Amino acid sequence: MINVKIITWFGTLELDDSEHLVDCDILDRMDIDHLARRMREIQQETNDIPPAGYDLCDAAQECGFVSNGEEYVSLLHQVSIQATKYGVAESYTPDMRIIQAIGTLDDLDEAANLLSERLSEWYGLHFPELDKNTEQLANFVATHGSRSTLSAEDALFEKASSSMGAELSDTDETLLKGFAQNISALYEDRRRIEDYIIGSMGQLAPNLSDIAGPLIGARLISMTGGLPRLARLPSSTVQVMGANRALFKHLRSRAPSPKHGIIFNHPLIKNAPWWQRGKIARVVAAKISLASRIDLYSGRVELSLKDDLMVRIATIEAAHPNPPARSTVKSGKGKSKGGRR
Amino acid sequence: MVQKEMSDGIFNITKGSRRGLATKNLDPGAGVYGEKLVTIEGNEYRMWNPKRSKLAAMALKRMRIPIRHDSRVLYLGAASGTTVSHVSDMVPDGVVYAVEFSARTIRDLVQMCERRSNIVPILADATHPSSYAHIVGPVDVIFQDVAQPNQAKIAIINARRFLKNGGHLLLSIKARSVDTVASPDKIFKEEIRTLEADDVGFHVSNRQDLSPFHEDHMGVVAERKIVKE
Repeated sequence: MINVKIITWFGTLELDDSEHLVDCDILDRMDIDHLARRMREIQQETNDIPPAGYDLCDAAQECGFVSNGEEYVSLLHQVSIQATKYGVAESYTPDMRIIQAIGTLDDLDEAANLLSERLSEWYGLHFPELDKNTEQLANFVATHGSRSTLSAEDALFEKASSSMGAELSDTDETLLKGFAQNISALYEDRRRIEDYIIGSMGQLAPNLSDIAGPLIGARLISMTGGLPRLARLPSSTVQVMGANRALFKHLRSRAPSPKHGIIFNHPLIKNAPWWQRGKIARVVAAKISLASRIDLYSGRVELSLKDDLMVRIATIEAAHPNPPARSTVKSGKGKSKGGRR
Repeated sequence: MVQKEMSDGIFNITKGSRRGLATKNLDPGAGVYGEKLVTIEGNEYRMWNPKRSKLAAMALKRMRIPIRHDSRVLYLGAASGTTVSHVSDMVPDGVVYAVEFSARTIRDLVQMCERRSNIVPILADATHPSSYAHIVGPVDVIFQDVAQPNQAKIAIINARRFLKNGGHLLLSIKARSVDTVASPDKIFKEEIRTLEADDVGFHVSNRQDLSPFHEDHMGVVAERKIVKE
């Protein structure tokens, strides 16, 4: 006769081969917090799980953990709520912070652009000669308000005094000034969040940061839903991630396969001559995969990765110094882009 | 003012302009997700919209809902707990184990659970029943509404571990989660075949398309019968 040990949320039990309780080591039922923490822990446990159909409620009564079924449910209810709360708190991982930060960055860009355009339209009625946009415009309006406040020494004084724009009333000036200050603050926030992402990426994924750049790395993490998932992807997927439309078009019809997705923004790919980009994208994607795996599993900083990458790129550049001769390409660069639609 | 019980714990209510399905509120005075509360003869009911709940749609389609006042129910894919709250109403003397994988959506569920003592929330992946086998015991009913490609498979592995002999599976198959392009009819047939072919012993007693309440969804009621040798 061989006894088996099983783990339950209220303690460890020992059963004989016909599933009868032989021995039990139960926990303190008053300590909800400890029960809840342990419940979270044993959810990762794949050994010593109760046999199929085993009634935990009956077992808990037999052990003397609770005296009846109602008590069992009531206690389980309290403990599971607490355990789930811990689970929700645990879900705020460094990956999740980066994903939220990247999302915020995109939202801020969109909001700042939209509001800047509005400011430019409105302020343009008053001072159309002012040749400023986005952040410069917001900063200008935030500090000066009406063009009539510019001093004679200011470089824009000439333009301001001969402006064809309408006068700005005091109310309008206060309003626009406040509005512009808010927009400036958005740009300020954007910089802070970008710094935050760069800092977090340096801690969470130093190798990925090094190879892909912190922002592209963060975006890859965000698109896959976390570093563990990015690390498990084949690098061919990493290469085309973000080029969904082109990829599905390729899979569906005879369209050419996309060479790069969001990693196109990588300076090594973006600044390469067009005929080398596909090859470089493949190498960069491969190194990104390796880097994210090192970050996930060892965390060691592997400087040789970047050196390898540069060597590979140098090889590609040496092997393909000139654009391939093709009848459709007329000496210039990038003419073959677009293709069939 | 008419009131008729369609199935254990599910009522068909008419009061003034309000008519439709409802469950008797286990937590009188409080709604869960903004549903209307109706009081008839001293009892408070929570109106139940079939467009927001597969289970309500199944009940409206006259499918037999095998949930009793003292049932133990394993609910897979609890989401934010809209339907879970109605199941909780239906089992005042039972318990609902509500499994949900997403930490984002389970937040609302947890808040509701604090007011309803018969719900046990579990943050876990329904494709790995061993991750909650330390918590969930044998159940009378499994209700499953998950957006996963292998829905029949998930039902089978959970039934094998938790469903009592003679217990029921209530399954909502979402065709779009299995395959976004294949025809829903083909998917339903395939999933039901998988369900019945497995030696876990499912016998499908009823199946209904859930339109117009839910497009490309099929409700399935199956009983687990283990053949004894």
